[in-house]
Amino acid sequence: MSRHHPKNTTLAEFAAGTLDEGRSLVVASHLALCGECRDFVAALEQAGGQMLTEIATMAMAEGAAARALSLLDGERPGAARPKPAAVPVWQPEQKTLLGYELGPWRWIAPGLHHRVVKVPPGGETRVFMLKAVPGLRMPEHSHTGTELTCVLSGAFIHEGGRYAVGDCDDADEDDGHSPVIDSAEDCICLIAMQGQLKLSGVLGRLMQPFIRI
Amino acid sequence: MQIMALRNSPDVRAAPRQRYSKMDALPIMSLPPAAQEGRSSADLARLIEAVAGARDREAFTVLFDYFAPRIKALLMRSNTPAAAAEELAQEAMLTVWRKAAQFDRAKAGAAAWIFTIARNLRIDVARREQRAKVLDLEAGDDLPPPAQPDDEYDAGEREQRVRAALVHLSDDQLRVVRLSFFEGKAHGDIAAELELPLGTVKSRIRLAMSRLRELLGDLT
Repeated sequence: MSRHHPKNTTLAEFAAGTLDEGRSLVVASHLALCGECRDFVAALEQAGGQMLTEIATMAMAEGAAARALSLLDGERPGAARPKPAAVPVWQPEQKTLLGYELGPWRWIAPGLHHRVVKVPPGGETRVFMLKAVPGLRMPEHSHTGTELTCVLSGAFIHEGGRYAVGDCDDADEDDGHSPVIDSAEDCICLIAMQGQLKLSGVLGRLMQPFIRI
Repeated sequence: MQIMALRNSPDVRAAPRQRYSKMDALPIMSLPPAAQEGRSSADLARLIEAVAGARDREAFTVLFDYFAPRIKALLMRSNTPAAAAEELAQEAMLTVWRKAAQFDRAKAGAAAWIFTIARNLRIDVARREQRAKVLDLEAGDDLPPPAQPDDEYDAGEREQRVRAALVHLSDDQLRVVRLSFFEGKAHGDIAAELELPLGTVKSRIRLAMSRLRELLGDLT
């Protein structure tokens, strides 16, 4: 049961297919665990369907339907493709992102590890996982771009509240925060980040040269 | 099932249509052609099921004639050139034939299902095939159940809720929802089209989406 959700506009961009792949991946991880947001996305798709029935049409070329059928005749008759195995993008028990190659866990600071999620290049969003030990306080930071986070295991707390498994933090570039890990087990988050991380405070400025996220 | 058939029947659909004056006022929106052409949601669903079950070519042709010109229109609104839009609409309908067996009228309305096919195609075109996979949430079977049973609705109920909610958006809100969500236009393009500052467009979209979600929630 999620208490923190992506912004409505983020969900709308997801449903429209205009959200970039990295952020879509994080939203999909949230949707796998949030019935409320799944319902909103389904409602938006329904709205899209309604708008499609209402749109002023553009005529297709003469005989287009017949050509489509003759193309289909070339395929094996009756070969209705079997429904692919239904798998959510992220399975809690598997702690993996299906279909995406993951880099190795790398140490970046005491109690903090980082692993890259490989999405096809082209977007300006970087996707990675962060794993932090219980009680760890992340240095206070903000971003030069947006940061979308979904908790995959454990929990953290920051100014916005407590974020547990399935919860999503949809932060703008100005949102500064300093999360503290608040679970008995490691906290693993999936993060899609645009721009750069900006560390603040003395500790942060000292760490900045070493942290390359 | 009986209840759903009733909800989707043309008689029931006719009533809320009267309130579509807002949408009709938009120059690019016409009267709901689904109703004009006697294609209720249930009709369209039956046609897809006929393609799935009996590989019914006649049913496919009816679906093609109904949806292909609409998908083409949508793609052209999304700034796809006419020739490419024609080809893609054709491709979308081939996908309808191939995936018809996956259609489940309890999960999605016929038009919503075809909208998602067109949307995924729009993503593919942007050479982001992977994302279409991410978006493929018809994988619904294995998903954990929602927190409360009323978190999810069957497609018939959802169709009514969405229709009622859209009627309550203001003209301005409906316009930005259509441009940003349905047509998938970038904020900058919408700002240029509406001759509004970018910040105004962004906040209008934000307010419209929040209002829409609120309305959908109120209608439960």
